[in-house]
Amino acid sequence: MSSKTANPVMRSAAWRISLWATLAFAIGIMLVFVMLHRFVANDIQRRSDAWLIGEVAVLGDVAGRTPKDRLYGRVVGEVAELASREVPNKLRSNSNENDSVFFLQTGDDGTLKLWVGAGDGLPNLAAIRARKFISDVPYDLNVRGFNHPFRVASVRLDDGSHIYLGLSERDELRVLNNLRFRFFCFWLLIVLFGSAIVFFVTRRMLGHVRKITEAASRIGQSDLSSRVPTSKRNDEVGHLALTLNHMLDRIESSVHQLHTITESLAHDIRSPLTAIRGKLEILLSGDLKIEPSEQIVSAIDELDRLSEFLNTSLDVAEANADALRLSRTNVDLDELVRIMIDLYEPSLSEKGLRVNLRSAGPVTVLADAALLHRVIANLLDNELNHVPASCTVSITLAATEESATLVLEDDGPGFSSEISVHVFKQRVKGKDSKGHGLGLAFVEAVVRAHGGSVTASNRPEGGAWLSITWPHDIQEKIEASQSLTLVDN
Amino acid sequence: MRLLLVEDEPEIQSFLQQPLANAGYEVDVAKDGRTAIQLSSGNKYDVLIVDLGLPDQDGIDLILQLRRSGMSSPVLILSARRSVDDRVKGLEQGGDDYLTKPFALAELLARLRNLLRRNLASSEEATRLRVLDLELDFISRKASRGEEVLNLSPQEFVLLTYLCRHAGRVVTRSMLLSEVWGMRIQPNTNVVDVHIYRLRGKVDTEGREPLITTLRGIGYVLKDR
Repeated sequence: MSSKTANPVMRSAAWRISLWATLAFAIGIMLVFVMLHRFVANDIQRRSDAWLIGEVAVLGDVAGRTPKDRLYGRVVGEVAELASREVPNKLRSNSNENDSVFFLQTGDDGTLKLWVGAGDGLPNLAAIRARKFISDVPYDLNVRGFNHPFRVASVRLDDGSHIYLGLSERDELRVLNNLRFRFFCFWLLIVLFGSAIVFFVTRRMLGHVRKITEAASRIGQSDLSSRVPTSKRNDEVGHLALTLNHMLDRIESSVHQLHTITESLAHDIRSPLTAIRGKLEILLSGDLKIEPSEQIVSAIDELDRLSEFLNTSLDVAEANADALRLSRTNVDLDELVRIMIDLYEPSLSEKGLRVNLRSAGPVTVLADAALLHRVIANLLDNELNHVPASCTVSITLAATEESATLVLEDDGPGFSSEISVHVFKQRVKGKDSKGHGLGLAFVEAVVRAHGGSVTASNRPEGGAWLSITWPHDIQEKIEASQSLTLVDN
Repeated sequence: MRLLLVEDEPEIQSFLQQPLANAGYEVDVAKDGRTAIQLSSGNKYDVLIVDLGLPDQDGIDLILQLRRSGMSSPVLILSARRSVDDRVKGLEQGGDDYLTKPFALAELLARLRNLLRRNLASSEEATRLRVLDLELDFISRKASRGEEVLNLSPQEFVLLTYLCRHAGRVVTRSMLLSEVWGMRIQPNTNVVDVHIYRLRGKVDTEGREPLITTLRGIGYVLKDR
């Protein structure tokens, strides 16, 4: 562990990123410079070669015309001396002696005939002789005693003698060395500067990520309320923080739901369990006055109600936490409501309730059939349980382009004022209700999970009014919202 | 009747074994998918009960695997999941049935018999059905008791048909809801009872022996002797 934490900078992603970025940057600049250097070097050489070729031609011309008398040496030497003063590179050595140019004439037997330049010219002659080829284009010549090679051009005279003009590459090399040195300094500076900038920028960026990580790791089982820090910038890291916080919102809401449901489950289960236990205990005591099967049957009924209640609670919780799994098919609401009315009609009329359906034909919605069945059953159960005799329950089905609407109304007492605002909340029920208060919560949760909405109110003329709107194009809506988020991202 | 019970929970195992044996089944128990495959390759079972949450594999995969190896017996699927997923629905369409926990023993037995019957005589399609002095005519869709023609609504005729087809056996409320009305709901009201009550009013008229009996907490039976 200690070795791992020994150098946190070296282990950070910022370090790695800046290392690689610097490497790529440095290599790139180096490549550009190499190309530039080659171009400059070639250009300098081309210029000096052009000068050499021109000068050697002039010298050859002069040497050819000058009569071979005593003055020959002086005349040619003079001209060579003059030519050497016009060296294209202005840099001169510190010594007064002109060692940047030499002029050398050999006789047809290869002996030194004339020499203008520093020293006695013998090393130069030896170096020229050592060359195996005689070329017309200028070439490099290394001469013993000189630190820098010479660029040498030659011309052959009619009398068989050769004239060599040599130009030291010292100045050229000095220019290039200078260039290289300066480049290297700049290169080092730029690379260091660039890598420092990259390092600090990425570190700042990733520092934000690290802060998010730290905040996220703090969010434990007990503390779900804290959020990761968000930045105002609209970049990837900002998105990450926002997404994380949205995720945490959802998790918190799910956990909160779970807490609520566990608490209410515990509360709702205890009393029926006590009742069942009591009944079984009475049976066990063998009290002959009590009909045993009656007790058993009512215990079983209690248990059935309990498990149904459990299922519905969990469904509501799942739907509220957006975890309800829907297997959608096309369901004809008209047909479904007719079957449901058929199923409930005897019970309703037994209670003295009338039911009528207003529908203009098939109304197809895309929904989970099993859940939709339970939604309608829940609504009718509600009517059956809460509406007094001789009332009328009306169901109206209507369809528009976008949605299907089911309106359920009755002329009963309506929702009592104390609960009307909260009818869709779990466990909200009227004072006299024997239910668990889950019915409408379930209806609302399922409809919402399908993308629809439920509204409930009391009719002005009395009685409850409940409307469910079910979008037809739920699929398209979901896809559209997804594509929207994609665009947003 | 040989039955293979594939269930890993010992409570459910022991709770089911005795009643199944009492109902005349010869029960083998497999506690995981591997054992189930071994047992069913060596024996021919008439019906299987498979729990979906097995320790070594998914129950549906097990059923599909058994089906691929040539097993054709009906399967009653036990599921602890409330929302039954599409794959179970697919199997249900293939002739199998499912039951979610917690379930009533009577419901399980009734569904088992239903499955076996469906498997044995699914092709048997009579135009008439007689149970004691009750007679159903599927062509004219009329029911009569003795000489008297019963005045039934179409829905009541379907309900009575279902009861007659299962005469002498327990029919639970949820069976009626799913088979007669085609929906798997558990209403917290007495909707089914009222239907039965009405039907009984027409079938078991004064002076006749009552045929439809209620088994409280379980369901109904149409007597066949």
